[in-house]
This record gives sequence, C-alpha cells and structure tokens, in this order.
Amino acid sequence: MASENTESVLQRLTQLGSVDSEARDGILFALPYLLVFSVFLLYPLLKGFYMSLFDWNAFNPSQSEFILFENYVRMVQDPAFFKAVRATVVFVVLTVPTLVGLGLALALGVNQDIKGKRFLRTVFFSPYVLTVSVVSLIWAGLYAPEYGPLNYYVGFLMSNPPSWLNSFTFAMPAVALATIWWTVGFNFVILLAARQGVPERLYEAARIDGASTWHAFKDITLPQMRSAIMFVTTVQLIASFQVFGQVFIMTNGGPGDSTQTLVMYLYRMAFRQQEFGYAAAIGYFLFFVLVSVSVINYKFIGGSDE
Amino acid sequence: MSTETRLSIPRPKTIGLYVTLYGAALLFIAPYLYMLSTSLKTEAFAFSQQPYWIPPEISFRWYEAILNGTPIMQWLINTLVIAGTTTILVVILDSMIAFSLTKLDWPGKRIVFGVIIASFMVPIYANMVPLYTIISDFGLLNSPLAVILPFSAIPIGVFLFTQFFKDLPDSVVEAAKIDGFSTFQIYLRIVLPLMKPAIAALSLYTFVYTWNQFLWPLIVLQGSSSFTLPVGIVTMQPTQVFQPGAEMAGTLIAAAPLFIVFLILQEQLVNAVQMQGTTG
Repeated sequence: MASENTESVLQRLTQLGSVDSEARDGILFALPYLLVFSVFLLYPLLKGFYMSLFDWNAFNPSQSEFILFENYVRMVQDPAFFKAVRATVVFVVLTVPTLVGLGLALALGVNQDIKGKRFLRTVFFSPYVLTVSVVSLIWAGLYAPEYGPLNYYVGFLMSNPPSWLNSFTFAMPAVALATIWWTVGFNFVILLAARQGVPERLYEAARIDGASTWHAFKDITLPQMRSAIMFVTTVQLIASFQVFGQVFIMTNGGPGDSTQTLVMYLYRMAFRQQEFGYAAAIGYFLFFVLVSVSVINYKFIGGSDE
Repeated sequence: MSTETRLSIPRPKTIGLYVTLYGAALLFIAPYLYMLSTSLKTEAFAFSQQPYWIPPEISFRWYEAILNGTPIMQWLINTLVIAGTTTILVVILDSMIAFSLTKLDWPGKRIVFGVIIASFMVPIYANMVPLYTIISDFGLLNSPLAVILPFSAIPIGVFLFTQFFKDLPDSVVEAAKIDGFSTFQIYLRIVLPLMKPAIAALSLYTFVYTWNQFLWPLIVLQGSSSFTLPVGIVTMQPTQVFQPGAEMAGTLIAAAPLFIVFLILQEQLVNAVQMQGTTG
C-alpha cells in the first residue's frame, strides 16, 4: 500500500514534470535577468530605505545607529536641501517647456515641404548622441568670459557682458541653454514621427472647410499628437529633475550653491561628506517625486486615450 | 493658376520657414565648429577675444599633448568594453526573459512582468547610495563590472522586447514545438533570427546610453586607469596651464567615435528613439 502510494506519487510527479516542462523552461529563461534585476535594482531599492533609517557609518556599517525617521526630519529642516530643490525646480521650469515647445516647432517645420529635410534632421538630432561631459566642456568654452565667442558678440550689444557661469542670474539659464541644445533632438525626432503619423486627409478636410492654419494646428495637430507630447513631457520632466552632469561640470554647483541641484546635493552628501543614511533618504525623496510625476502624467493627462 | 505662381515665386511664408530652419541649423552647428576650430588653434588664437571660426594657422599640438599626456586611449578601451559588454548582456538577458514572458506559460509571470514594468520608474540616481554599498561589498569598485551589471538590469529593454515578441505569431512557436524543437532551439533558431530588427534597435540604443553614462562611472570608477571617456575628459590635465585647445582636442577625440557611428547608423538610431515614443 505504502509502495503503491509512492509509485503513484512518483508517476504524478513525472507527469507533472512533462506537462510543466514549459513552466520550467519559462522560469529558466526568466531567471538570468531576474537575478541581475533583483541584486542590482530591487535589493538596492529596499536597502536604500533601510539605510535611510540609520545614521549610516560608511566605513563600518555595523557601527550604524538606528534613528528611525530622523534623516527625513533633518531633510525637511535642512536649508541646503530646500535650496537644492529650488535650483532643481528652476532648472525644470527653464528646460522642460522649452524642450517640448522647441522640439514641436522644429518637428512641424521640418515636416513642411522643404528641401534638405534629412540634413536638418541630422543637425537637430546629432547633439543627443554626445555625452554630457562633451556638451558641458564645449559650452563652458562658448561661455568663457575672456576668450569665449559668445561674449565677443554680446560685447557689441553691451559694454560689460556677464561672465555667464559665474553669475547668480545667468548660471542656471546658461546651463539650461546647453541642455536644450543637447537633448531637444530627442523630442524633435519623436514628435516628427508623431506628426508624420497624423492622417493628411484630416488637413485636407479642414482646408475644404476653410479652416485657418492656426485652427488646423489647434484642432488637428495638437489633439492628434497629444500622446506623443505627453510622452516627451514626462521623459523630460524625469530627466530634468535628475540633472547632474551639466551643473557638476559647468558650474560645480556655483556660484554659492545657486546651481546645486538635488542629485548634486545627494552626490555631495554621499560621496563627499560620507553621509550615506541622509543621502539615502534624499534618494528616496527623489524616487517618490519621480514616481509621482510619472503616475500623475499617466493617470490624469496621458494614458487615457491609449 | 495659383499652383503656377507658387512654383515660380516662393511665397514669403516659405522664405521665412527656410530662414528660420537653416538659421537654427547654423546655431546648432556653431558649438561643433567651436570645438573643432579651437582644437586646431595655436595658443595665441585660442585665447584671443575674437572668435576665429576658421583658425588662421592650424596646429595639431593639442592632439599630440592629449594622446601623449593622458590615458585617453585607455579610457576609450574601457568605454568600449563597458558599453559593448552591457549591450551584449542586455540583449541576451532581456530577449530571454521577454521570450519567456510572451511565449511561455508559467505560474507568477504576470506578477513578475508587473514588477519589472513598475520598476521602470526607479531612477538609478535615487538608488545610487545603496547600490554603491552593494558594489563595494562585492569588491567591484574600479572594475568595469561595477558599471556593466547595474545597467544590464534596466527594465526598458524587457519592455521593448516584449512589445516586439508579442507581434510574433504564437503559431510559429507552436509549429516549431510540433517539429520537435526544444524551447532553447525555438529561442535560438526561430525567435532571435525573426527579431533581428528589434535586437539591432535595442543594441544601438543601449550602446549609446551606456557609452555616455557619466554619474555612475564617476562614483564607482575611482582610479584614472579605470575611467571611461566621459569621466576621463573632465579630469584630464594634459598641460601645466589650462589650454582651451587641449581641452577641445580631448573633447573631440571623446566625441568622435560615437558621432561617426551616428552618422553611419543614423536611420537605425532615429528609429530606436522613435520606437520608444510609439511604444511608450
């Protein structure tokens, strides 16, 4: 009886094995990615929260002191943190609308019946393949107060041109302009593809109805391109919130921390001050801001028509 | 009649469009021109107030200074190794799991897919402190693996591949199964060859993305010999005194490889970027 039982169990197991070979293969094929994903993405996400509850000792983690939410309390009381939030918001405001608006304008322009479309697309898109250090070094040269070409031309307009990257007023706009040159091409090509996807017959119908160019833009182009516009806006918001390389290289956060953005503050706290627990808390704050941006965009503005 | 007039005399609106677009193009090209011309200028012209867009006198001394005075070739090799390995890993790992998620049935796969898609939103920068301690615990600081492994786990590739694999008819996989193909053979001999365009697009995108990484390599690569190009050119000091010419020569050397790739594979790269917009 006992052996019969064992036999039937064994039989069932082998049957199960053959039926579920697809399940086994499925898991085997998923495993390599899941392993890397768990160790280098999910685990850090959890460990980050754990670390944020400690006065973390970077040199000897076992000496870390559990302080519950003190790092978060410190954050909301830290004037330097708020300064960094402010600098980040200024950068977002300076870049996101321009990047989307200019990207759209270039896309609509290049979509017209003109010669040299391919050349124009190459030119507008090309900076996107550069690394942030290349972009920052070139623009730091362009802005250089003594020998930079920008001030040579500005010198014709005013007698005392500003030294852009050392100026409280102009440092952030200067970084923003370099960023616009660098990444507007991304929006441009995506919006160009979206514009080319709008059926021409809609415009023909509008023309027959005697609609003006403005009305065609407002009533056909914008609604038809809505999901693409929302997509690039979300991507830009997320990218601009995380700005680091440009400010790190061009201004190093200066003058007087005026261009020190959130990620840069986080970087300094973690890798200059060795304040791992506090930096982890700032990282978590950043994480929640970005998730909220995505969710809000997706839920209330974006995803409804797809 | 109106067509004829339009053909013979360009309308003011058209002229305005040309002026605006080509004017913008000129402004877009100016930074490149600055980099190129400055890298070829002699010291006197590089520091001159007047911008010589075409240098009156051409000198290659800054290129010599960079090639002899900095490990830029080492940085180039490091960057190539990191971007190349990451790309290969992403293609293998992501295509395997995407194949599994779209064509194979197993318990819990919906949850797994959900978790991967949700983690789309996890910015690597928000994760960098805990990730640094993990890399450090593994003893990987300064190793190319410190950059390769975290960037091999990014969910975007899984997402894009699943979008493509969905379009592959299940009947193709079923037919192969009946013919006695093993799951691995189906993946290797049928799915991968049919997915070449998707693989090419994702490879190109991943390669460009990892090649250009700045912050993460800056954190985990701490010795000059392990730097990548983006980190290296910011720290380089090929001359005793700061020289714009030397800096632009280094910048140009760092920008050139990927820029040439871009000029050759422009269509594919534009498609890879546009793909995100349409699937996103």
